[in-house]
Amino acid sequence: MNPLRNLARHPVRTALALAGIAVTTAMLLDMVLLAGGIERSFAQLLLGRGYQVRVSPRGTLPFDTEATIPGARGIAATMRRDPAVEAVAPIVGSSIHARRGDSLVTLFGYGIDPAAQALYQVTAGADLAPGDSAGLLLSAPAARVLAAAIGDTVVLVSRLDPQMAVAGSSRTVVVRGVVRWLYDARDQASVGTLVPVMQELAAFRAEDRVSAFAVRVTGDADSAAARLRAALPSLEINSVGAMVLRFRERLTYFRQLSLILGTISLGVTVLLVGTLLTITVNERRGEIATLRAIGVARGTIVRAVMLEGGALTTLGGGLGVLLGLATAEQLDRILTSFPGLPAAISFFVPDARSLALAAAVLVITGIVAGAYPAWLAARAPIAETLRTEAT
Amino acid sequence: MPLLVATALTKDYPMNGEVVHALRGVSLTVAPGDYVAIVGPSGCGKSTLLQLLGGIDTPSAGSVALEGTRLETLGDSALTRLRLTRLGFVFQRFHLLPVLSAAENVELPMAEAGLPRDARRARARELLRYVGLEGRAGHRATQLSGGEMQRVAIARALANRPALLLADEPTGELDAATGRGILDLFRRLNDDGATIVVVTHDDRLAGEAGRVIHMLDGHIVDETRGAGR
Ligand SMILES: Nc1ncnc2c1ncn2[C@@H]1O[C@H](COP(=O)(O)OP(=O)(O)O)[C@@H](O)[C@H]1O
Ligand SMILES: [Mg+2]
Repeated sequence: MNPLRNLARHPVRTALALAGIAVTTAMLLDMVLLAGGIERSFAQLLLGRGYQVRVSPRGTLPFDTEATIPGARGIAATMRRDPAVEAVAPIVGSSIHARRGDSLVTLFGYGIDPAAQALYQVTAGADLAPGDSAGLLLSAPAARVLAAAIGDTVVLVSRLDPQMAVAGSSRTVVVRGVVRWLYDARDQASVGTLVPVMQELAAFRAEDRVSAFAVRVTGDADSAAARLRAALPSLEINSVGAMVLRFRERLTYFRQLSLILGTISLGVTVLLVGTLLTITVNERRGEIATLRAIGVARGTIVRAVMLEGGALTTLGGGLGVLLGLATAEQLDRILTSFPGLPAAISFFVPDARSLALAAAVLVITGIVAGAYPAWLAARAPIAETLRTEAT
Repeated sequence: MPLLVATALTKDYPMNGEVVHALRGVSLTVAPGDYVAIVGPSGCGKSTLLQLLGGIDTPSAGSVALEGTRLETLGDSALTRLRLTRLGFVFQRFHLLPVLSAAENVELPMAEAGLPRDARRARARELLRYVGLEGRAGHRATQLSGGEMQRVAIARALANRPALLLADEPTGELDAATGRGILDLFRRLNDDGATIVVVTHDDRLAGEAGRVIHMLDGHIVDETRGAGR
């Protein structure tokens, strides 16, 4: 009545069943991870540097459109007047160019304030010092594209108006550090300078335009965002929490889809385990009748089969979790290489709760799937079964 | 007090709209220490009678009382418990669990009865020694010969010290020499005090029993004395 020994009776069949359970478990797990993953990882990304409020032009999300916010310094000052505001990080984003030999390469340019920034982490070299108008930060892909290292000189060229075939203004800067831009897509060649430098290159300087602000507040971010919204009604001001909620609404369809697919894969597992255990139990009808004859209780027999189902799904499920995590990683790699998507977004975020949920559902499935055939077998008339199944 | 009293047992099986009268009113009393052989032509109802005596099937009419307990008054779990603790079954085809070792097969009814592991181990060892298989305790059931399997099955039947040992054609699957060994074992068991009811075709086995009950067409037609008690 040892479940593992019973499973080992038909090694090929058991191996096939385990493989089937592993595949459906992997699918179930991936669906569970996918359903919550994007949203969690989106929130993690937005809160990565502790700035809980975003300010963008009315009706847009940060970097959603080319729209910009004029009068940045005044707005920043207004926001700082709110006692809950700890830091205001202005963000400029624009497409610019840099000289490489005789040609120009296109880059994405950030304007940042190193004293208050929610955009990057320095991975090599130094951050910009306040007032370092000649300093440049590079992403690793930008360093590759420009073939530039820390200490090298780079000539940035302003955005070209395609209508006018004249070169824009240019600016010579020195590479201070290599950084990871949190919102960059994979392989995005991005550079960063102080806000005024990038404003000039992007032709934002005259009206003191920025693309967005990130704001760090103390206390409740939603009420801070509401106050700022009241003070600056021409802007779109939201807490990250509210943005995630809105994002979540957009993903409802997606979550429903993964819920349905997850349910299907669970159903397949139930059928698989149920079929296998029904076959197994039927094969053992004679054996079960013998056990009943010599005084083994129905409950003992049902428990033994349930244990076998549990062992089967635990083993298969364990393999499935490994398979599912490996698959999730692969899929994640494919999905996050979509152009324009921040590479830091992860579609499959393993969390203990999803894992525990998938595991529990699966093992319970195995236990329950075996219970019915076992109960039927334990109820079969003993004498008659012994007579017909005599082995 | 008799150990077992069966009164006016009948058993009808429905069969393609007709009724097979497997037992047509059988009464039988077994005293402690009896060695009873039930003989008769194939199909006369021997196995059916044994199954009713052992509480693994219910009579169409009549009653069976074991140690004063009427089996038909018991619910399924009480009857199961009674089979476990008061009865021992030996089948023609042994019916051991193939995934278990000889010792584990013997321990199984003791585990079901809730005996602690050490006590189970010790008793299984003792029983396997009794049936002459002390060297085979760790073998899987499938690695044993027919005679050895039947010995393990007998040890299993004795595990919970039953009041009555029931055996249906225990030598039916064995060659003459191997069957002889099983006969000797039954003989010895009875000498040691076991009460045995055995269904058999085997004249030698019947000859060793104390009481030989002859059946024909669902009736007991005669009882003779054998060599045993
Ligand atoms: N489950 C059953 N269904 C129908 N007929 C049965 C069943 N069990 C036994 N019988 C019939 O009852 C009669 C007695 O059977 P059985 O007790 O097995 O005889 P024996 O053991 O003496 O050979 C036979 O005619 C047999 O075919
Ligand atoms: Mg028979």
